[in-house]
Amino acid sequence: MILAQLYVVQSADFLFLQNQTKMTSGNLSAHLSKLEDAGYVEVTKEFVERKPHTALALTKKGRTAFKEYRKKVKQFVEKLPE
Amino acid sequence: MTNYFVIQSFIRWKVVYVIEVKTMAKVPNLKEIERRAYMSYHKDGLLDIFAGLYILAFGLGITMELMWEFSFGVIMPAILIATVLPIWIAAKRKITMPRIGYVNFGTRGANKLTAVFIGLLVAGLGAFFAFTFATFQGGSREWLDLIVQNGMLIVGFGTLAVCALFGYSMGLKRLYVYGLLAAFALVIGHFMGIFFAYILLVLGTTVMVTGFALLIGFVKKYPLKGD
Repeated sequence: MILAQLYVVQSADFLFLQNQTKMTSGNLSAHLSKLEDAGYVEVTKEFVERKPHTALALTKKGRTAFKEYRKKVKQFVEKLPE
Repeated sequence: MTNYFVIQSFIRWKVVYVIEVKTMAKVPNLKEIERRAYMSYHKDGLLDIFAGLYILAFGLGITMELMWEFSFGVIMPAILIATVLPIWIAAKRKITMPRIGYVNFGTRGANKLTAVFIGLLVAGLGAFFAFTFATFQGGSREWLDLIVQNGMLIVGFGTLAVCALFGYSMGLKRLYVYGLLAAFALVIGHFMGIFFAYILLVLGTTVMVTGFALLIGFVKKYPLKGD
């Protein structure tokens, strides 16, 4: 879900992802750190109008992994009997 | 007999398994996710408020008989755009972003919208200059009279087309409703002989009030952290 959200945008912040995925901040935070450790998500900390801002974006590796995942799920669903 | 029950339970298990797996294994619908992400940014009603304000300004301009003066007809829209745009951006930063977060959609969506906007601007300016040029030309004025006589119908269906185009490119369904409302009001106005400006005033107010209602709903739905 997180990867799908980040796949359709260039970057987003934590609050936007939380609103879109309807996850609790603790849950989202835990998922994001795992995705960051796997090298799928890139976290950039910056200052916007003197306020700290964390931008999240998919890395090239994350984008490829998500594409691959979609392809596999698609193939799997197509193989299922009607 | 035992075999029969074994086969039956296997078939039942397989059906349940397939249904469950099919429900769980969904291919993420990226278009829908993208549309929802984009829509969330326009749930705030700011677009409606400013569009309504713009329509109201034109309605008032015509009512006050200022519209056909060059200063109002040409300079005012430019001033309105120049003032409304920074206010809109500031309102997005102060109201929308702290509530639903910041997102960068990249250039894909923006390019589509810019292409629609430029296309409409070129078409609008082309029609305006063609009409102005034809007005100052001699010869037959029959077709010009026809346009003037059916002006409200043309504006009504033109508005419907513009709203549909923006609604489609922005993924905002309420723009279709606005387009239909404008077309309906202008067609009724044409046949009942209602003054064009009054229709603009009603439409502008309706769009603006809808915008404020959306804004109130948005602020309630997404309170600021700590509110």
